[in-house]
Amino acid sequence: MAKLLLIEDDAATAEEILADLRGRGHAVDWAATGPEGAARARTGSWDAIVLDRMLPGLDGLTVLRDLRGGGDRTPALVLSALGDVDERIRGLRAGGDDYLGKPFVLAELAARIEALLRRPTDSRETVLRVGTLELDLLAGTGRRGVRDLDLLPRELKLLEYLMRRPGQVVTRAMMFEEVWNYRFAPKSNLIDVHVGRLRKKLEVDGEPILIHNVRGEGFTLTPDV
Amino acid sequence: MSRLTRSFAFRWALGIALWSTLLSLMLFAFVYWQTAAFMQDELNQVLRHEVRYAARDPGQAANRIETWISEDLHSVHFAGLFGPDGKKLAGNLDARPANLSLDGEVRRIGTEVAIAGRRLHEDLWSAAVALGDGTVVVVAHDTDEIDRAKSTVIRALGLALVPTLAFSILGGVLLAGRAKRRLASTEAAVARVMRGDLRQRLPVGDAGDEFDRLARDVNGMLDEIERLMDEVRSVGDAVAHDLRTPLTRLRLRLERGRDQARDIGELREAVDQGLVWIDQTLEMVTAVLRIGEIEHGRRCAAFGPVDLGLVVSEAAELFEPLAEDKGIDLEATVDAGVPAIEGDRSLIFEAISNLLDNAIKFTPAGGSVRLGLDRRDGDGDAVISVEDTGPGIVAGERDQVFKRFYRAERARQTQGNGLGLGLVAAIAKLHGFSLTVGDGRAGGCRFEMECPVADRRSTITE
Repeated sequence: MAKLLLIEDDAATAEEILADLRGRGHAVDWAATGPEGAARARTGSWDAIVLDRMLPGLDGLTVLRDLRGGGDRTPALVLSALGDVDERIRGLRAGGDDYLGKPFVLAELAARIEALLRRPTDSRETVLRVGTLELDLLAGTGRRGVRDLDLLPRELKLLEYLMRRPGQVVTRAMMFEEVWNYRFAPKSNLIDVHVGRLRKKLEVDGEPILIHNVRGEGFTLTPDV
Repeated sequence: MSRLTRSFAFRWALGIALWSTLLSLMLFAFVYWQTAAFMQDELNQVLRHEVRYAARDPGQAANRIETWISEDLHSVHFAGLFGPDGKKLAGNLDARPANLSLDGEVRRIGTEVAIAGRRLHEDLWSAAVALGDGTVVVVAHDTDEIDRAKSTVIRALGLALVPTLAFSILGGVLLAGRAKRRLASTEAAVARVMRGDLRQRLPVGDAGDEFDRLARDVNGMLDEIERLMDEVRSVGDAVAHDLRTPLTRLRLRLERGRDQARDIGELREAVDQGLVWIDQTLEMVTAVLRIGEIEHGRRCAAFGPVDLGLVVSEAAELFEPLAEDKGIDLEATVDAGVPAIEGDRSLIFEAISNLLDNAIKFTPAGGSVRLGLDRRDGDGDAVISVEDTGPGIVAGERDQVFKRFYRAERARQTQGNGLGLGLVAAIAKLHGFSLTVGDGRAGGCRFEMECPVADRRSTITE
């Protein structure tokens, strides 16, 4: 359970976000204006802050910039109806750790908050292990138990991304951003096809399932033992 | 009156008249000055010569001045030889003029002279020299001649000024009037445009002068404005239409779910279906906004050097599994010699993705899709091409496909919102790429995006 602060001026949107995040077991507080949000952000102790780009009284990016200026490194996700790339760059420059354009799906927001909360994993590790799955990043080889996996470069990156977040739901958009490093909503079922291919190589002949499809949300890699 | 003085034509007429009058005056002043100076100079030389000639030989001085006087037919030559006591020895001057220096230089003096038996006060141009024995010789010439010539010139110039001024004003009025008439018709056309009649155009003459060129440019601008207005109107209509259909479906589905669902499972099914439709609708709205955003050129912050070869390869790699699942052969060929261009790699990737997505969508199983990057004529601009073996696009529809919401006749059966190619066109326009569609070599169609290559020598070395 994490302590979250939501700074969002639209009450209806805030209510849905609060209900969803609380349903996922988080303790969430809500501030409806920029000044109120800035004050709560400074005084409270939060695991992550979700804030709207445009707030009455004080602009969301200003709140964030002031917070960062004061040395506060609490992970922050910026929400905005201004979805274009320039806006996103501005949001990240102001100190945001992630940016999500409206309209968004609640599951996408939840998954991204989860990613922010779990963020500090050691990225210097070069051999990853999840259950019987093992990935050697330097050699570029993977094994499940004793069986060698024949992985293409992109599949290797995809598997690394999932193995660094075991048990965590990752959305298609998150995978597309992090594994392919492009930023827009991919069409059709492109990502599913890639995940499907990876699964065919990981789970052969009735082996326990590693990558689960979480309906309406994304995918999650769970340890098999 | 104030309208007249503010009028462009009036001010031009006045300006032209004033300017040509000023020029004439300057010309006149110069002619007058040159004429007067020339005449005076001539006379001075004659007088200087005569007085020195008379003084050279004192014995002959009297004779020489008599000759000077006798050469004269109009009683304008005067001369005198005066003894040291001022007594007249010869000539037709009665007394030695006072205040005349004896240095042989020409000066204007006033003195009494006798002409035809009458004594008159005359202004004379005179020169005097003292001889060795104390006698003084004076040679003079009437000033009237030069003065008359001067005033004649001035009068002539003054008389000429009147018609000059008149013709200047007339010319100015005629020229300005002509400009004013052309302006008036243009003004009337602009007024009609301002009242909302965007089909109105400015009159263009056949002279091909600046005025015609300006009118042509303004007409070009009006064409573009009219086209954009039409587009805005049709996009607005299309958005409204495309929103109403899914919203109607959604409403019906939710209503039926609420009234007829027998358990929570059935209700959830209705809601899930509704969510899918809402997502499609939102996707369309987002696409419209994105196209607008890209068209307004507000997305340049992410511009940087883009390795087209890498982007094309990555796009092929992203779509390869999808194509394979559909039984389509996707093949990418990349010319390694294409230099980096300036752009937004994510947008370029999105454009290629949309083209590939379309190609795979419209190509039947067993067909093929070719993605290529090469250079026009081997070393020209970079060309990204996507070619399929689908049904193709009939020639009449090719200009239409890049328009928002346009869906080709043969595409109506497939899922889509008619915005994919509109987005590609907007991205191409933002980057200054030219986008064309033609026939594929093996049936189907071929999309080409031509990217200008700025520096033709620098190639990617990484």
